[in-house]
Amino acid sequence: MKAYAKYVAIIAIVIVAALIAAFMSPSLQTSVERTVTVTTTYATTSPATRATSTLSGVVNGAGATFLNPQMQAWASKFYELTGGRIQINYQSIGSGAGQAKFREGILDFAGSDPPLKLEIYKEFKEKGGIVQFPVTIGTIVVVYNIPNVESGKLKLTGEVIAQIYMGEIVYWDDPAIKALNPELNLPHEKIIAVHRSDGSGTTRVFTAYLSKVSESWKNKVGSDFTVEWPVDKLGNGVGAKGNEGVAAAVKQNPYSIGYVETAYAYSAGLKIALIRNRDGNYVLPTKEAVASAARALVKVLPRADEDWSHIFPDETVDPPGGESYPITSFSFVILRQVYDDPVKVAILKDFFKWVLTEGQKPENIVEGYDPLPPEVAAIGLDGLKLLRTG
Amino acid sequence: MISSEKIFSIFLIVFASTSLLIVVGIVISLVANSYPIFMRDGPSFIFKSVWNPVKEDYGILPALLGTLISSAIAISISMPLAISLAIFSAEIAPKSIRGFINSISDLMASLPSVIYGLWGLYVLAPILNQYIMTPLHQYLGFIPLFSTKPIPTNLFTAGILLAIMITPFSSSIIREAYSAVPYHLKEAAYSLGMTRWEVIRTLLGYIRSAILAGAFLALGRAMGETVAVAMVVGNTFTLPRSLFDMGYTISSLIANQFPNAEAYSYMVPALYGGALVLFTIGLVINLAGLYLIRRVVARS
Repeated sequence: MKAYAKYVAIIAIVIVAALIAAFMSPSLQTSVERTVTVTTTYATTSPATRATSTLSGVVNGAGATFLNPQMQAWASKFYELTGGRIQINYQSIGSGAGQAKFREGILDFAGSDPPLKLEIYKEFKEKGGIVQFPVTIGTIVVVYNIPNVESGKLKLTGEVIAQIYMGEIVYWDDPAIKALNPELNLPHEKIIAVHRSDGSGTTRVFTAYLSKVSESWKNKVGSDFTVEWPVDKLGNGVGAKGNEGVAAAVKQNPYSIGYVETAYAYSAGLKIALIRNRDGNYVLPTKEAVASAARALVKVLPRADEDWSHIFPDETVDPPGGESYPITSFSFVILRQVYDDPVKVAILKDFFKWVLTEGQKPENIVEGYDPLPPEVAAIGLDGLKLLRTG
Repeated sequence: MISSEKIFSIFLIVFASTSLLIVVGIVISLVANSYPIFMRDGPSFIFKSVWNPVKEDYGILPALLGTLISSAIAISISMPLAISLAIFSAEIAPKSIRGFINSISDLMASLPSVIYGLWGLYVLAPILNQYIMTPLHQYLGFIPLFSTKPIPTNLFTAGILLAIMITPFSSSIIREAYSAVPYHLKEAAYSLGMTRWEVIRTLLGYIRSAILAGAFLALGRAMGETVAVAMVVGNTFTLPRSLFDMGYTISSLIANQFPNAEAYSYMVPALYGGALVLFTIGLVINLAGLYLIRRVVARS
């Protein structure tokens, strides 16, 4: 009798354990989380505000960490404008995770540095379609730590940066760098090449730029959230977690080079390199240089309901224009075209319309981001018209 | 009417089996989620040195070695420190400051690891680089262990930071065991004419099993540490050639790569595979530890 009871107990343990495992596995998790639905109601009593009618409710989004500070600023401003009736939740979980959760249907919208991949775009297209459009511009700067060279003095080209990260240029006084900077006294020191260790949209855009300007980078390394850095194999590469990690590593290691989102370079007081653009001018990411880059792209950008993966970021980096800064990047918002709840559709339309118009004014833009030129904002405004209930 | 005895024992069974169930559940989900990568690559997933999401090619050997190296540095530095700290606070320190030392040490054991990570990155790493690693490399660079020109964030820094993190942890286990030694043993030792040093040595022998237990718990903590290590280990996916080389650990690999892993078909299974390998090593080490402790207990 006792032995029998023991077997029953073991079987029971395995069954319960399997159930626990099932709840832990990501694919089944969604069905649990999905029950946390959003409660939305029409409020009829509150006075209408400038931004919206009398809607009230909550929508949930998540995704790119890069977008987070700006999205929080927009959400809280919009919350104020609507008298607290519309609440936009945004969680900073990373572009990849944001896209995955959006695909599972947990989120109302996703924030993402890259647009949807082609396969996923097609999958959505069969299910009613999606809308994806840029909401803000970010720039990536190349930063360096050479003790005797001031900020904004070092001139680099995309090919030289690619060669540094490939380990083909090892010393700061390499002829290729000297040729660009005849007036600088560059030291014979090894270049420590700092890169992101975590998967990130910043790396995706930076490596897209290197792939565009260097054929051998494109063939040997490619572009992705994380790549295999050839310079690591030589022992001259350092991986650091997050923009703040890269900034710290560049600051701590004399004779290093790195790439970060612009805001982090300013806050860490790092030296910023001039980069040669397609027209041969050496530029810094000034407001004008960024706006020029964005305007140059308007012609090639697709509509909001089209596939963006073939354009961004591989085609949008290194744009034409004498003033254009070459490593500019958009951050995207991704929406479904069809939602079950009419209130949600109305809220999403109102909020993102505000984001693309009022939200782009200087007082609503957080430091480190650049506003979209009206021509680029128009892509999103047109796309929002496609939102419907079904 | 059920007696309170009965209720009590039912409670115990429920809670005890819950923790067992959770462990079994974790194992099942690790196996289920890492299954695709082992199916595709087989054991070469563990013995390859590559992390290339562009080509969806993953092999975790550098992270595995990094985990073992950094924890080995950590444990070999922290054990002498932990034992000394425990003896000092239990035997040598004046009674009035014992409480103070113990609460400081317990506070250190409970500090969130991200605080250690930030401190390690901004304070410890530059200091180690300037005063320890660079001189070691300059004067003893012919020894393979010190042959790489150090950069502040590397395996050695990670090992030292881990040592600092786990010392208070194992020290408190040793201290508790040391203070629990029956007082008459100590009195007997002194009455035999032993010196203070001899008494301490005898008592340490008496609590061997607790020292081992403290070491294995600390080792487990060092191998599993995530955030703090990710900040100071250098995060380059290459096989380490010396202690001063940058590296990776399995935990820091997961911390770094998980947020965007879902953008790839095989990265999530690969990370779960890494977790499974880490779990297995932890299990093996703990079993070995249990065996050692049993032998030590049986001998005394």
